[in-house]
Amino acid sequence: MSPQELLTRTFVDLADNLVDDFDVVDLLTLLTDRCVEAFDVTDAGLVLAAPVGAELQVMASSSRTMRDLEIYELQSHEGPCLDCYRTGEPLENVVLANALDRWPRFGPVAIAAGFESVSAQPMRLRGTSIGALNLFCAPGASLSQDDLAGARGFADVATIAILQHQASVDAQVLNNQLQQALTSRVVIEQAKGMLAERADLSIDEAFGVLRRYARAHNIKLHELARSFLDGKVATSTLSGRPTPGP
Amino acid sequence: MVPPAPRCPSVGPVMADERTERVVALLRTPDGQDVDVARLAEVCAEVTGASGAGLMVMSGDMSLGAIATSDHVSAVIEDLQFALGEGPCIDSYHEGRPILVPDLSDPAVGRWISFAPAAIEAGAAAIFAFPLQVGNARLGALNLYADRPRSLTVEQHADAIVVAGLAAQMLLMVQAKAPPGVLAHELSDGANLQYVVHQASGMVAAQLEVSVTQALIRLRGHAFGEGRPLKDVARDVVERRLRFTRSGETDAAGGAPP
Repeated sequence: MSPQELLTRTFVDLADNLVDDFDVVDLLTLLTDRCVEAFDVTDAGLVLAAPVGAELQVMASSSRTMRDLEIYELQSHEGPCLDCYRTGEPLENVVLANALDRWPRFGPVAIAAGFESVSAQPMRLRGTSIGALNLFCAPGASLSQDDLAGARGFADVATIAILQHQASVDAQVLNNQLQQALTSRVVIEQAKGMLAERADLSIDEAFGVLRRYARAHNIKLHELARSFLDGKVATSTLSGRPTPGP
Repeated sequence: MVPPAPRCPSVGPVMADERTERVVALLRTPDGQDVDVARLAEVCAEVTGASGAGLMVMSGDMSLGAIATSDHVSAVIEDLQFALGEGPCIDSYHEGRPILVPDLSDPAVGRWISFAPAAIEAGAAAIFAFPLQVGNARLGALNLYADRPRSLTVEQHADAIVVAGLAAQMLLMVQAKAPPGVLAHELSDGANLQYVVHQASGMVAAQLEVSVTQALIRLRGHAFGEGRPLKDVARDVVERRLRFTRSGETDAAGGAPP
């Protein structure tokens, strides 16, 4: 497969991930593996702050060496992924030996691992930074402008996928809260009616009885209402007096 | 550029385009705040050129009522869907897609045997329902009606999809600010969540010694048989003008109701 075809195929595969069965690690692993295949890089690694704003973690790496190097980068609080994440700007073919003042701890370790230069692409969308993609080259290798553009494209698509997924998850959580709040009200209204009928009270009086009992026994009102409707709490218990006869 | 502060949930659009930005602008007050939920239905109608709009929330199979309606006809449409358990909003919610009915009186419509004539009588000639949905989370549906038979234009249709999505996000974000388990007052203030019907269900459940679900079915059956709105029947029950017994319904004096 030509590099161009591989790029196109990768974009399609990334887009395929934008559906229900979404696993972030799978997606990012695909990304790093395809970077190594498509571009003249030895290794690729990706760090992500997930959820947005949390601490950076190593999410994917194309080899064990890469993984260890990325972990070291985060632990030493310096390195290309971190710079890229913080500034939102890409790095292009930065020679490690020339960047020792920038990365005094990380630099030598990366060189010792066999790398000569590094490029990095930010993962961000309209001002929200969520991580960065590191691409490491062996001595003599480097990324062309086309490669850098291709890597940027990969990073952008993965960013959108992750943010959309996160928004969808948030929406589910909030919708569950909304549903619960709505159905709790229904149950409370039903219980008011049932108690009003059984204890010969007005709806408002019945509400008062339920509230007082819930407070006195430290139960949530909608839970008490549910128990009452299910017959687990007797009318006489709530009202504190014998139920009127039929 | 500084990495963002620790997150609060965000369900807003990840990618905004010109249409979304234009509609978002319409959902803001002049000083940049989000419009009231109460105004939301009016804005939905204005944006799409509809005669009126209602936002219906649903849970599982059941309509729970309307969070907001822009006019009386929309309120009646929502009442009908709640009472009859059928209608374009309900279908839109279940099917997760817009339901477009340019002419309710067209015999080819073929569904909503009870809802359609009642909606026409209330003043709705055309109905367009759009899901209220964010990602996979389904809240209910947005109902738009027109007072004469017509279709939405392509632009109006596109705007409706955008405004329905934004309205759904807004409802979720409003609820996010409320204490857990409690409905946000901004949502309940202007809403018609059919409390009277649920109260009546509780009363009838006690009268007949059946479940509240059964009681609601009995109330609906009575309303349908009498040709009366469900909420009027419910009000009669709650105000003790109407009782249900094993042998039939009675009025307050113990005789058959008029």
